[in-house]
Amino acid sequence: MQDMLESFDLKKQADELGVSVWKSPGFLFILMGIIIISSMLAVYFVFNNPDSVEYLLFSEFALVLVLFTVGNSIISGVDEIARANKMKTEFVSIASHQLKTPLSEINWEMELLVSKFSEGLTEKQKELIGNVGNSNARMIRLVNDLLDVARIDQGRLPLVKEELDIVGIIKDVIDNNRNLAASHNVKVNVVNYGSVPKIFGDRKRTVVVLDNLISNSIKYTKEKGNVDVAITPEKDRLVVCVKDDGVGIPKKQQKNVFHKFFRSDNAIKNQTEGTGLGLYIAKNVIVQSGGDMWFDSEENRGSTFCFSLPLKKNDKFYSVSM
Amino acid sequence: MDKKKLLIVEDEPVLNKALQEFLSAEGFEVIAAVDGEEGIRKAGAEMPDLILLDIILPKKDGYEVIREVKADEKTKNIPIILLTNLGSINDVEKALELGATTYLVKADYKLEEITQKIKGILGMD
Repeated sequence: MQDMLESFDLKKQADELGVSVWKSPGFLFILMGIIIISSMLAVYFVFNNPDSVEYLLFSEFALVLVLFTVGNSIISGVDEIARANKMKTEFVSIASHQLKTPLSEINWEMELLVSKFSEGLTEKQKELIGNVGNSNARMIRLVNDLLDVARIDQGRLPLVKEELDIVGIIKDVIDNNRNLAASHNVKVNVVNYGSVPKIFGDRKRTVVVLDNLISNSIKYTKEKGNVDVAITPEKDRLVVCVKDDGVGIPKKQQKNVFHKFFRSDNAIKNQTEGTGLGLYIAKNVIVQSGGDMWFDSEENRGSTFCFSLPLKKNDKFYSVSM
Repeated sequence: MDKKKLLIVEDEPVLNKALQEFLSAEGFEVIAAVDGEEGIRKAGAEMPDLILLDIILPKKDGYEVIREVKADEKTKNIPIILLTNLGSINDVEKALELGATTYLVKADYKLEEITQKIKGILGMD
């Protein structure tokens, strides 16, 4: 309920977006109410004094004028807020697109160099090229995250429908995180409860969701910890849970976990890098795919993040892939 | 086996060249165009097995290229892969409605993955 009230606080939104509105629209509505009541009192007064018809005309005229002015002020305020909000989202989209062309160029040129023209390069040179490639990949992820947030805000996040081998994807993601796991001295295990049916989803995005959960679990686990990835097929959905015995999330911050740009005190204290966008995007991807995402966490004991994906086909996907 | 012929329609010279070099090294015959008009002309003249198409192009954009290629009896069966950095639902829907086979976001795909998609569509794997 409080969330709902916050999203209706136009004055606050306007301030955040740098739009100036006079008082809050809520205040203006109250003002309108007061004006209507006073005009009704005026009408009552005139009816009790039938001689003063000019009073009636005057009060009616004043009523229309004031209501028009106040109403207009509310509408233009709301309008301007909506426009500023749209511009902000469009700015992020355009900036991200412009960034993506040179990033794609770096990406493809590096790949071309490594895979087709690497003859004569020393190991050291290859290592340096690899590092540049990794930094570029990180930059692309960052730009993609910003772009995804803008698309989620506009309700325009496209998902591709593909058949998913979830066990294979989990193994790939764990494999990609093996250096991170080794550096934190964390062991990642897969627990599989029952035979796993094929499901439909967006492959690239499901990989990002799992990478997010698994790398988070590794990063926030102290030395020699364990991360367990459990796959449980249920009647009409598949549930995947990632459990760690890491730093956990403080109770009072748990309600903000899926908010964009949120990072818990524990996360910041551990100084791991992050934008606070990963879980926000992950939850939106899963929900749009017809599933759900939830978690359970206790400070200093660990966290378990779970998501579900439906077994039946889902119309919300776009079949753009082969 | 004959070399499969690919047409690349891409206005960014670096991306166009990288695609050409990688796909040639993978054993394809590669032709390139740098704007929509040249793309449509070469599709008709060269009859490629597949077209890799950008959306934001000079002269005629990618959507117009799909429209004209699909409208021509001779070229309408050539599969088209859209290769772009646009990627909102509207872009995806529009491209598919016009008849593109699939849609790949440049920054998210390696040349190797694009090659796999091409081979998949051409039944080469």
